[in-house]
Amino acid sequence: MRILAILSLTILCFHTSVGQGLTDEMKDTEEKLYASTKQINQFLRRFNGEEDEEGNRYYSGDKKYRDDGLRKKYLPVLFDKETGYISETVAKDFIKEVTDKRNPEFLDLHDKEMFAEVSAIFTYKGKETSALLYMKMQQQGLGYEWVIDDVAFDPFKKLYKKDTSEAKRFMHPMSHELGFMTLRKALQNEKYPEQFTPREYQPDYLTLFLFELKAGNLKFKTVKNVKFHFFTIDNWYFELSNFNRPGYNTGWLISNLTKLEGNQKQMMKDYIYDKN
Amino acid sequence: MKIKMKLNKYFLLVAFSLVAVFTVSAQDDVDPRRKQAIDSLALEKVKDLSKYISIIGDKKTQFSEAQRVMDRAEELFADDSEMGVSSLSREEITYYKVREYFERLMALNYDKVTIKWYDIHYISDLEKQPDGTYVGVITIYQRFEGTSDDGLSYKDTTKKDITIYVKKKETQIAGRTIEFWDVLLGDVRVTETSA
Repeated sequence: MRILAILSLTILCFHTSVGQGLTDEMKDTEEKLYASTKQINQFLRRFNGEEDEEGNRYYSGDKKYRDDGLRKKYLPVLFDKETGYISETVAKDFIKEVTDKRNPEFLDLHDKEMFAEVSAIFTYKGKETSALLYMKMQQQGLGYEWVIDDVAFDPFKKLYKKDTSEAKRFMHPMSHELGFMTLRKALQNEKYPEQFTPREYQPDYLTLFLFELKAGNLKFKTVKNVKFHFFTIDNWYFELSNFNRPGYNTGWLISNLTKLEGNQKQMMKDYIYDKN
Repeated sequence: MKIKMKLNKYFLLVAFSLVAVFTVSAQDDVDPRRKQAIDSLALEKVKDLSKYISIIGDKKTQFSEAQRVMDRAEELFADDSEMGVSSLSREEITYYKVREYFERLMALNYDKVTIKWYDIHYISDLEKQPDGTYVGVITIYQRFEGTSDDGLSYKDTTKKDITIYVKKKETQIAGRTIEFWDVLLGDVRVTETSA
């Protein structure tokens, strides 16, 4: 809280000279907008200690670039403090670890352990339906591009209900002697033909998604929400969300933070990708 | 006269960017000093856009003048640029072509419209896209106030995240090929804020 007040005061001092011609209400709003983490880019810069209070970039070689004191000032204000999902103790441990002088941790937009989750609306066979698109950054040509890595889409998930029990239907092991005439019974009028696939078979929803787009059954409508998932710091996961609300604790903020142990990293990824 | 002044201003900016060229082209990444020069150029275009939006929205602006300003404003943008608009009451994004957005702004059903801009701009780093063009985002904030003669008024603050494309171009001056960096605006995301 004290850090927030200091940061707000610093911002206030910086900007008494600007905002001329603005109403008092607008000046008040302006202070809040300065405090807001306005872009993912600004979140990364504040996290890394790569900009001053006005948003001016520090570059490698500048005295204050990635300054430990600057980072300790910025990091506590990069957490969502209003919904109460993040324990203060866990946040303190996280800040202590990423600002450890012997091994400080920084974030990079191109890190392969960072991805975006986009909640979008489509019309599927004429009906409005939401989908989650998992986006990752990849190197391409002379630069980078965002690509769709995977998709979670309820109509596809409902379509595939694989029965793996001992009571599941099967094609008997002498089918080969009959020229696989058992296929007719297996596939004709069968709602779940996936039960005749190997145990390790997993449907590829992205391929289905692209197929349906190409076939014209699926049409993009709009984006509803975006968040980011970071597994870039060893043994930690955090989620970044945009908070559009009154006050100073707004913009792109850490909305979830978890210490990961053992195989929890993969479990968490599976959970986010809706693979459980 | 206004147009002449504007052309002069752009000439100066282009000249300014010309100076920036040689160091930038010598290396793969934009060095900090050149990045600042490009930022200034981009910001100048964003400020022009802000000014044009204020004029287009102003009910005192004559129809023919508004059309001329819309033409000028459109020239700031790359082809096919869109405005993606959402509000606090409607989180879904509605997409408009730039011209369509301006026309809707001009046609708003208020008797008085005031558009002011906060003295805030946030300029992102420049990222290189696959074709070698650099892309960045400048964030600015707009205050809108619309009042009807019957006393009804509407106010909002919108965040505008404006794409900027920075591309190396060539021109012939006195028979010599000179490279320079040009800035074009691209898609704009318009979000109503609760601030």
